[in-house]
Amino acid sequence: MWSVLWVTLLLAILGFLVIYPVLMLLLGALTDTNPVVDGLSLSHLSIANFLTVLANPNVAEALLNTMIACGGGTLIAVAIGLLFSWIVVRTNTPFKGFIAAASILPLFAPPLVAGVAWAILGSPKTGLINTMFKWIGLDWRVDLYSLSGLVFVFGIYYAPYVYMFTSSALRNMDPSLEEAAEISGASAFATLFSVTFPLIMPAIVSGMLLSFIVMLGIYGIPAVLGAPTNLAVLTTYIFKLTNWSPPLYNTAAAVAIILMLVTGALVFLQQKVLSGRSYTTVAGKAFRPRNLDLGRWRWFTFALGIVYLLVVVVLPSLALIVAAFRKFMFIRDAASLFDMRQYSLMHFNSIFDNPLTLRSIYNAVEVGVITAVVGGALAFAIGYTIHRTQLTGRRWIDLISTVPVAIPGLVVGVAYLWAWIGIPGGLYGTIWILALAFIARFMPDTVKALSTSFLQIHRELEEAAWVCGKGMFGTIRTIVLPLARPGVIASMTLLFVLAIRELGSSLFLYTSNTMVMSVLLLDYYEGGNLGKTAAFSIVQTILLGVLIGGANWLSRGAAQGSVARTG
Amino acid sequence: MDRRIFTRLAALAGIAGLGLAWNTPTQAQEFGSPELIAAAKAEGKLVFYTANFAEVEQQVIKAFNKRFPEIKVEMVRAPGGQLITRVKTEAAAGKLIADVVDHSDRALMLPLADMFQDYAPPNAADYNPEAQISPKLWPRATLVWSIAYNTELVKDPPKSWMDLTKPQYDKMTGQVFAQSGGTTWTRIMFERQVLGEDYWAKQASTHPILYPSGAPMSDSLVRGEVAMGPLLYNAIYPKQKDGAPIKIFFPPEGAPVNPYASGIPKTAAHPNAAKLFLNWCLSKEGQTFMIKELGNLTSLKVPPVYPEGFDPKIVKVWYPKFDDYVKLHASWVADWDKTYGYRQ
Repeated sequence: MWSVLWVTLLLAILGFLVIYPVLMLLLGALTDTNPVVDGLSLSHLSIANFLTVLANPNVAEALLNTMIACGGGTLIAVAIGLLFSWIVVRTNTPFKGFIAAASILPLFAPPLVAGVAWAILGSPKTGLINTMFKWIGLDWRVDLYSLSGLVFVFGIYYAPYVYMFTSSALRNMDPSLEEAAEISGASAFATLFSVTFPLIMPAIVSGMLLSFIVMLGIYGIPAVLGAPTNLAVLTTYIFKLTNWSPPLYNTAAAVAIILMLVTGALVFLQQKVLSGRSYTTVAGKAFRPRNLDLGRWRWFTFALGIVYLLVVVVLPSLALIVAAFRKFMFIRDAASLFDMRQYSLMHFNSIFDNPLTLRSIYNAVEVGVITAVVGGALAFAIGYTIHRTQLTGRRWIDLISTVPVAIPGLVVGVAYLWAWIGIPGGLYGTIWILALAFIARFMPDTVKALSTSFLQIHRELEEAAWVCGKGMFGTIRTIVLPLARPGVIASMTLLFVLAIRELGSSLFLYTSNTMVMSVLLLDYYEGGNLGKTAAFSIVQTILLGVLIGGANWLSRGAAQGSVARTG
Repeated sequence: MDRRIFTRLAALAGIAGLGLAWNTPTQAQEFGSPELIAAAKAEGKLVFYTANFAEVEQQVIKAFNKRFPEIKVEMVRAPGGQLITRVKTEAAAGKLIADVVDHSDRALMLPLADMFQDYAPPNAADYNPEAQISPKLWPRATLVWSIAYNTELVKDPPKSWMDLTKPQYDKMTGQVFAQSGGTTWTRIMFERQVLGEDYWAKQASTHPILYPSGAPMSDSLVRGEVAMGPLLYNAIYPKQKDGAPIKIFFPPEGAPVNPYASGIPKTAAHPNAAKLFLNWCLSKEGQTFMIKELGNLTSLKVPPVYPEGFDPKIVKVWYPKFDDYVKLHASWVADWDKTYGYRQ
C-alpha cells in the first residue's frame, strides 16, 4: 500500500517536472501557436514545422556542422583526455598531481566564456596568437572562426571531461593483466593498446558518448566562434529562431525535437554497445595501480603535461585576464599588448557599479542552494527507489528521470514557461520556478552521480539494520545516508554548480527580481562589452572555483561529473 | 564689456539658472501633477520590460532616480523576439508583471496595442506623429543610424552610405543582419528605398561580416575585427566616449531612425509610477539625457540638442512609412538574406 503511494508520488513529481513540459514542447512543435496565448488545442496538429525544418537545406547544413564539430571535438577530447589520464594515473611523470588538479579548471568556466576566451586568442584578424606569431616573425596564422576551429575548441574544452571518466577507470584497473601481457613479451606500447585501453573501453565509450551529447547541447562556444563566418550548428540555429523578429518558437521546438532524437539515439547506442559484455576488472583482492617507470621519457611526458596545461588552462585564462583588465581590446601589436597604460580596473568597477551584479550573484547562489537541497533530496529518493528497492514502476522512474539529458536548455526554458506560468499560486516570478527547472533539467546528472554511491554500499549492511528492528526510514537515516554522504555532498555540489552556470532555461524564467548571474553574463556579452563579460566571468569562475574547492574538500573529490553540461 | 562677452555671460547665467532650477518642486510639475507624483511615490516601484540593453537602461534608471529617488525601477531585459514572447505568454496567463513595456519593433507591438491603457505624456503635443503607431504607445527612445570606423585601421575613411560599397573596403565592413529586429529593418529599408534598388548587392560585394546585433558588432569594431560599418549611434557612441579608437559620422544621404514603442499595460500594478517614469523619459529632460549620455536621437519635433556631429542642416532624418514597415518586411528580409548570403 505504502509502496504504491510512494511510486505514485514519485511519478507525479516526475510528471510535473519532466513529462508535462516535454509534452508542451511537443505540442509547440506540432502546432503554430503559443499554447498559453492561443489556448491548449489539439485541432491544429500538423507536422508542418517538421516538414519545413527538414526541407530547409540550412537545417541540414547546421546538422552536418553539428555532427562534424561534435564528432571531431570528441575525437580530440578522447585522444587528449586518455593520454593525460594515462600520464597522470599510470606513470611516474613529475608533478603529475599538479597537472591533474589544474587540468580540471576549464570545467568551471561556462561555455560562453570559453568561447570568448578562444575568440580573443584565435580570431584570424585580431587573435592574440596571431599577434604573437607576427611578433616573433613567424608566418603562421590560426583561424578559430571555422569548423576546424570549433572542433579544436570543443576538443580542448572537453578533454578534462574525458579525463575524469578514464582516469578513475585506470585507477581501478588491476595491473596484473598488464603484467601478464608484458611477461608474454608484449612491448609497453603494445600492452597499452592491446590490454589497457580495451579493458577500460566502457569508460572510454561512456566518456566519448557523453562528451558528444554534451557538445550537441552547447550554445556558448559555437555562438561566439561561428557567428563571424555565419557558421551554424543546431543550438545556435535554435537560438537564432527564438531571437528573430518575429520569433519562430514552433520551428525552434521542431529543431529541438530533432536534436533530442539524435541524443536519444546516442544514449541508446551507448547502452547497446556496453550491454552484454563483461568488463569486470575490479577484483576483490587488494591491489595498487602500478606506476610505469618512464626513465628519462618521464620528462617528455612532463613536457606534454605542461603543453596541455598551457593550451587548456593558461592561454584561455590569460586571454580573459587581458580582456578583463584592458580598457579596449584593440591590440595593434605585441608592444601594445604589454603597454601597462592600457590596463585598468575600469570593467570591474563598472560591473560592481551596476546594482544588478550583486543582485544576480545573490539570486544565483539562492537558486543554487534551493536546487542543490531540493534536487539532491529528490535525486536521493529516486536513486534509492531505483537501486535499492524492488518496487514495481521503478523502471519507469528510471526512464523518465533520464529524459531531460536530451533536451536543449534554451528550448526547454520556453516549454517550462508554457507549462508552469498558468499554475495558480504564483510560481512564476519567483526563484522557485528557476530552481524547479534546474532540478528537472539536471536530474539525470544528479541521479547518476548518486547511483554510484548506492551501488557501493552492500545490501547486507541494510539487512543488518532490518534484522536489528530498524524500519525502512530508520535504516536510511542510520545506515544509507551516513555511508552515502560523500556522494550526496558531491551530487549537491554538482547541482549547485550546474544551477549557477545554467543559461538556456533561465532566459525565459527569470523576472526583474530574480535575475541570475548567467543571464547577466549573456547580457554583458550581447551588449558588446567584451571587457565586462570577461571581468564578470572571472568573478563567476573564482566564485565557482572556491565553492567547488570547498565542496571537494568536504567530499574528498567524488564525482564532479557533468559540470560541463550546461551551455 | 562688449556685447559678445555680455551675451556669453548671460548664456552662462542662464545655464547656471537651469542648473539651480534642477531640483525645485515647480520643475517637477513638468513630469506630472502633484497627485500623480504622490501616488507614484506611494507605489514606490515599477517593473520595466525593455528590448534595449540592460546597461544602457541602467543609466536611464539612475538618471530618473536622481529626480525621483523614492521610486525603484526593476528591469527585465530581453532581445526583441524573446521579449514579445514573454509579454504575450505572461499576458495570456494573466501574469503580466510589466508596468512599462518598451520595444524596438513597432510592428510587433501594434497587434498588442489593446493590451495597453490610454496614456499620453504632458508634452504629447511636442512629439512627431510619424513616430507613433498607436496613441497608447510612445517613442520613449529614438535610435539613429550612423557609420563608424576604427581610426587605427582606416586611413581613408568612408564619408557616405555609398562609400560602403567601394571595392577598396573589401572584407573590411560589417553589417547587422536584417532579421535581427526593428532597427535593422528600418536601415535596410532606407538603403533600398533611398540609396537604390541595387545598394544591397553593391554593399554585399564587399563581403561584410554579419552580426546578430549592433552590440557585438560595435565591440568587434573596437577590437579591429571589422574596420567600418553602419551602427546604431547609441551602440558605438559610449565606446567612443570612453576613448576607443573610433570615429562616427552621420552620412549625408540620410539618417534612418527607429522610434521605440512604449506603453503601460492595462494590468499594470504600479500605473502611477509607470506614468511618472514614462513622463520623465519623454520629457525634455529625459530626452536630453538620452541624447547626450546615450547617443539617442529624439522624436520631439524640436530636438533640445543633437548628438555630437549631427548637423540637422546637412543630415536629414528618415522615418520609415509604417505601412511599408509592416507590409514589406517578410519579402524584403528574404531578399536581403539572399543578397547577403545569410542562411535561415
